[in-house]
Amino acid sequence: MAADKDHPASFQRRSIIKAMATGGVVLAGGGVFPGILRAQADNIRVGLPIPLTGPFVNEARAVQRGAELAVKEFNAAGGMAGRMAELLVRDDKLNPQEAVTRTIELIEKDRAHFIVGSVSSAVQLSVNNATKQRKVIYNSVSQSDTINEAKDWSKYTFHECLNPHMTAGAVARYAFPKFGKRVVFLTADYAYGHEMVRGFQTVGKAMGIEVLADIRHPLGQTDFSSYFPKILALKPDVLVVCNFGRDQAISFRQAADFGLKKQMKIIAPLLIHSGRMVDGHDVYADIIGGTGYYWGLEDTVPSAKRFNDAFRAANGGTYPTDYAGLGYVGVRGVLAAAKAANSTDSDKVSDALRAIKGDFYKGPTYYRACDHQSVQSMLIVESKPAAQAKNKEDIFNILAIENFDESKLRSCKELGHA
Amino acid sequence: MSTIATDEHAPTLKFESVERHRVLATILALAVFPLLMPFHALATNILLFGLFAAGYNLTFGYTGKLSFGHAAFYGTGAYACGILISQYGVHWSLAIAAGVTLGGLTAFVMGLLAIRTRGIYFAMVTLALAQCVYFIGFHATSLTGGDNGLRGVNVPAISIGPISIDLLQPFTRYYFMLTFVAFAVWLLSRILNSPFGAVLEAIRENEQRARASGFNIERAKLLSFVLSGLFCGLAGALTAINLSTVGIDIISYHTSGQVMMVTLLGGMGTFFGPFVGAGTFLAMEHVVTAFTERWQLIVGLMFMGLVLFFPKGIWGTILEWVKK
Repeated sequence: MAADKDHPASFQRRSIIKAMATGGVVLAGGGVFPGILRAQADNIRVGLPIPLTGPFVNEARAVQRGAELAVKEFNAAGGMAGRMAELLVRDDKLNPQEAVTRTIELIEKDRAHFIVGSVSSAVQLSVNNATKQRKVIYNSVSQSDTINEAKDWSKYTFHECLNPHMTAGAVARYAFPKFGKRVVFLTADYAYGHEMVRGFQTVGKAMGIEVLADIRHPLGQTDFSSYFPKILALKPDVLVVCNFGRDQAISFRQAADFGLKKQMKIIAPLLIHSGRMVDGHDVYADIIGGTGYYWGLEDTVPSAKRFNDAFRAANGGTYPTDYAGLGYVGVRGVLAAAKAANSTDSDKVSDALRAIKGDFYKGPTYYRACDHQSVQSMLIVESKPAAQAKNKEDIFNILAIENFDESKLRSCKELGHA
Repeated sequence: MSTIATDEHAPTLKFESVERHRVLATILALAVFPLLMPFHALATNILLFGLFAAGYNLTFGYTGKLSFGHAAFYGTGAYACGILISQYGVHWSLAIAAGVTLGGLTAFVMGLLAIRTRGIYFAMVTLALAQCVYFIGFHATSLTGGDNGLRGVNVPAISIGPISIDLLQPFTRYYFMLTFVAFAVWLLSRILNSPFGAVLEAIRENEQRARASGFNIERAKLLSFVLSGLFCGLAGALTAINLSTVGIDIISYHTSGQVMMVTLLGGMGTFFGPFVGAGTFLAMEHVVTAFTERWQLIVGLMFMGLVLFFPKGIWGTILEWVKK
């Protein structure tokens, strides 16, 4: 220990500094990569946090493609007085905490002017909390009733997607008078499922439906066979399946196997384009549901035809899906508002967005003044058999189009807005 | 000891002196960290996840108990703090204290039920109990927000006398969090240096022998579990304030698995290892995600490489090299 006693102070100081530097460098190890993720200084930057990994990756990619088209068109038209738009895509991993970190970094580090995105109810609410605090405009492209409520909402919050109340309401208004009023719900036990059931029940109550049971199943259920004997025994006219993604595909397939389709009509709030593409007509046959956008709308709506053509030209001939439409209009809306305001200032763009009444891809849409919910049409569709299809992406028949007016939304007062 | 021998052992002696000041060295390393790191929001996440892992390390690395339920302490800490701020408007300092307390209390209850089991059984019991906490959180929608998560844990600015600290500024937020982490690191070092800390290591090395030496093993293990819960509760409470939201995923078994991985990666039973593990893992994930959607494959391969070539964890292996 002689050496220690000889130069104790200098040893300690030097070694502490060394250890400190080593520690800092090791800790920063993976992080020091200059140049990556760096945004251009004078561009209009739109941050797009979406779940590029996880179960909703198909929807996320569609959102990205739509958003890319919107940016491309904006730049081709000269941008905002020469200022070009730039899309900053980030993977939120379908995790609210990850999404908040990404959003904060998009705002603080990349200086994003606007945030668009999310394909999950929980994620969008967390992102909205972060953007609200930092006074940055956020346009959500995923279903949620909660985001419009006064508690979560802010001047900078916009909701481009349909919400469960609108979606379920439109399907209920179409289906209950046609197929009967004795109803059973099969519901995924999370916010999306609960909000959809509430939407069906609110509209159904006025029509005098009788709810025989609301059967809840856990998220990510792989076997629904144990629920079917009970449903068959209740003998409902209509079975409403309020779940999403794989849950929806598995429950539809097994419902057919157990003979439910012969005894009752199955309806769902949403039939997802990518789900029907993957699982095919047999699984979706005779089931009726809603969607925000289907490319077949081009036969009657000129803006849909224009959007489809532009999207196909940019994506190797593929037609846009429902979520591609949302990604497109979500980004196009904020960029159009920035151009109208000739500014990226959140307050000015927020005012400009509220004033926009446009027809971007599916007929006229606008944001309701009190809660910034996009008021838009809703399609009722059913699966189209391959024999009748024009091409392999021709998967739905449009049964009805419900043009929305504000009377069909939850009232501003109900949402807590003054 | 001869002069020659002293020269040969010079690096050891140097490092011993650093180890003696490990609290200072750790705090200084954490203080320079955000200056080297281009992602500031991520730096704060790493700091807080590092604290969570340091708390976990007390049970896993120092006492030798493999817990699979620490997300419960992290999560209850976050929810207690978050709910008090967002729904009851409680002052942030009291909310943090409540988060720490609930983290410890949850650990106490889980510890009473689990502490007598060993090895894989301890892991399974803690996992099961943490899942119970998860489902309580998931279904207590009016309090926790359930699946939608808890929003509005907004502490935009903090006033201490005439000074107002803006927590929306990334650097300010980091150093605000660091003051708490620094205190926790100091406290953790004091615990490990105490006779009680020695008992924990004795239990890890040989439980029978520690018992034969006259120590109350059950009580020591329970106390270590509760102390670990307090640190994890603090990390959770600070995370709630950092992100202004609490998602239900915070209590999921993924979080419990992640903290174990991070601790292993950094070096279990080392003082600074958990922070190194959190930094490496989260930064690796963050950077690889920017290049490819197949980040899980790349991160998995890198993780395997690290485990193969750094069997004692990154920091553990570095310590071994330095001490040679």
